[in-house]
Amino acid sequence: MTTNILIGGVGGQGLVLMTNIICQGAMKAGYDVKSNDVVGLSQRGGKVWGNVRFGEKIYSPNISAKQGDVLIATEPLEALRWSASLKDGGVIIVNPKTMYSTPVQQEKAEYPKEEIDALKDKYKVIEIDANEEAKKLGKIQVSNVIMIGALARELEIPIKIWEETILENVPPKFKEMNISAFRVGYNG
Amino acid sequence: MAKDKKVLTGNQGIAQGFYEAGGKVAASYPGSPTVEILDTLSSYQGVYSEFSTNEKVALEVAIGGSFAGVRSMAVMKHVGVNIAADPLMTFTQTKTLGGFVLVSGDDPGLASSQNEQDNRFFGKFANMGVLDPADSQESLDYTKQAFEISEELQGPMMLRITSRLCHGRSIVNVGERKEVAPKETIADSDDSYCMIPPASKEAQFFMKERLDRLKSYAYDTNLNKLEENGSDTLIITSGLMYNILKEVNPHVDVWKLGLVYPINEEKAKEITANYNKVIVIEEMMPFIEEQLKLMGIECEGKKYFSFTGELDYGHIAKGLKEAGILDVVNELDSTTTDTVERPPLFCSGCPHRPVFDILKKSKTKMVIGDIGCYSMGMQHPFEQSQSIISMGACMGIVKGMSKAFAMQEKQEPLVALIGDGTFFHSGIPGLINQLHQQGDKENITIVVLDNRTTAMTGGQPNASSGLYTKKDDMKVSINELAQSIGFDRVKELDQYDYDETKKIFKEELAHQGLSIIVANGPCALKFKMNNPHYYVDPSICIGCRSCIKTNCPPLKMKEYEGIEKKKSFIDKDMCVGCSICAQVCPVNAIKQSGEEAKGGA
Repeated sequence: MTTNILIGGVGGQGLVLMTNIICQGAMKAGYDVKSNDVVGLSQRGGKVWGNVRFGEKIYSPNISAKQGDVLIATEPLEALRWSASLKDGGVIIVNPKTMYSTPVQQEKAEYPKEEIDALKDKYKVIEIDANEEAKKLGKIQVSNVIMIGALARELEIPIKIWEETILENVPPKFKEMNISAFRVGYNG
Repeated sequence: MAKDKKVLTGNQGIAQGFYEAGGKVAASYPGSPTVEILDTLSSYQGVYSEFSTNEKVALEVAIGGSFAGVRSMAVMKHVGVNIAADPLMTFTQTKTLGGFVLVSGDDPGLASSQNEQDNRFFGKFANMGVLDPADSQESLDYTKQAFEISEELQGPMMLRITSRLCHGRSIVNVGERKEVAPKETIADSDDSYCMIPPASKEAQFFMKERLDRLKSYAYDTNLNKLEENGSDTLIITSGLMYNILKEVNPHVDVWKLGLVYPINEEKAKEITANYNKVIVIEEMMPFIEEQLKLMGIECEGKKYFSFTGELDYGHIAKGLKEAGILDVVNELDSTTTDTVERPPLFCSGCPHRPVFDILKKSKTKMVIGDIGCYSMGMQHPFEQSQSIISMGACMGIVKGMSKAFAMQEKQEPLVALIGDGTFFHSGIPGLINQLHQQGDKENITIVVLDNRTTAMTGGQPNASSGLYTKKDDMKVSINELAQSIGFDRVKELDQYDYDETKKIFKEELAHQGLSIIVANGPCALKFKMNNPHYYVDPSICIGCRSCIKTNCPPLKMKEYEGIEKKKSFIDKDMCVGCSICAQVCPVNAIKQSGEEAKGGA
């Protein structure tokens, strides 16, 4: 069986590292794994996305429409955007902190709040205020590790593997903070 | 062994392959999708790597490594090969000494490029073998094998990769580095590397004979694999397309090519003779299809698959249905919901922001842009750039336009906008050319946005970085360079001083003749601007949106409690304290907080 994880957010939010950690965790758990990292501009502020697929044997790194199991969205509009890639009833883990895109900022478009709220009718939406939780822990940068914690609860990969993987990917002086962040996400 | 397994991107796979192959000299110019290859190599011991000033120089550095007998690699995005084409087309006539690999990062779908050229054709044009890996393991393996082939045949090899392969991750078995003894360098009595007649004429025959040897090699190379399932249909494909085809999983036989040029004619005929139908699946141009058709092999490809964009599961399934190979295909649903767009924008604190705000207010009609972050200035809300063509092109274009305008008695001010990376890359020859037959009827303002880094590709150092950081070694002052070339009207400014910048722009745009403005605000992202944040006092704000029009990410209009009209608001988590919003505010409603800076990344 293949597990398809999507990651959507805004350029600069650290999606590349998040994708990398999920891939490494899946590999350590014994799965074959492929991912797409952000393809395109390195600039901040635009929509960015990636995905991870793991299972016994993975050929394509791409996830087709309505094939995703879990969507991690670091911003609500991006949750809406990538929800089309999810299976009906799939899981959305979303950070509720909104970031206005240019059309919204320039008042050419409304931020689609109602459509975002309606995602709850079709999917299992888990909202986790990772920015605020991360600030409580001391650094906003650990918000993505909180999101990975929330993801871990939806998967069958042992916690030990996740913690080991996270430790390998963060600076030594922030190890404890990152483990705390993971647990905040995992314990919900 | 489990400990030797890693998850790597295709780019990292190539870097690791170069390292394991005993590669010694690698040079590149940063361009998506291949930037990470050199970024990765810079951390390996025993490898010399550099980001050169442009792709031509990078290629020449790698040629030098090869001439000195060591395994060498040049890395660039597809359009970079255009810049490097001059040395490439001549170098490939010579006998390669140290193994030589050119990595070309193609970009089907133009995720971050100005065109979609298919560089497999460039490989063929330059008489090189072309390899096309399908995942990170093959990226590593093919890099190593490319060096083997290169040294065996004394010829250069191209590794053609695509954006999705470059950035995609998969599991790789990582090995040890194997040092390779340097080959002999050019003998002092040997004039066969001086590519003027008669040596260059003789080289044609060597090149032809070498390609014939490569064709023989292609007959039974391990790079090409035939998968037989007892079908009477054969699909010929390569690279990532193979993996996507496997996902679609039609009941067909598959000939997967790792070496896409040259294809051995005898082998291709032997294999295809066993099938009723032959279909070619490849992105962009019909490269494999044309080779087969020239051999007289009946096949179809582009009849069913798009000439442009990436080919994903849905595209391949749909094409195979049209080709009569699949019966039922699901609708080609979109992977995204149609909702509010989120285009990229200048970062919080970006020094380009005040420049574009001022240009917009100046109502200059003709701004000729160039390649870099500032390309985004053509988007809403700034909409400043009437043309963006290629690296450094703004310099020549404004000159031609100014001459043509002068002949029509038009007095239109022309602005050429160029960043520091692009200026050093290929802007300088165009700048010098401005001095030739300078007239007195032209009004040209050249604006160099010198943010001290190649920002768009992630902040690689360039020739002006050393003016700003201790660890970078090149300290070229664009101001001094321009003056020494012979331009007497050069103004250097700090665009975070908004009013002064506006004043200078007004003067220079009005000036009849050629003037140069060097705006030296450093990249806010690379050099981590981190000042105390600003905030809006809603009781003073008049809701005029002057700040909003600067398009800075933390700004938005908001309904405050007890206030009827919307007023501006700054998200303090995103503000880096550049002050531009406060400077454009006509009523001083935006103030800096007394809070400490928030700690940054």
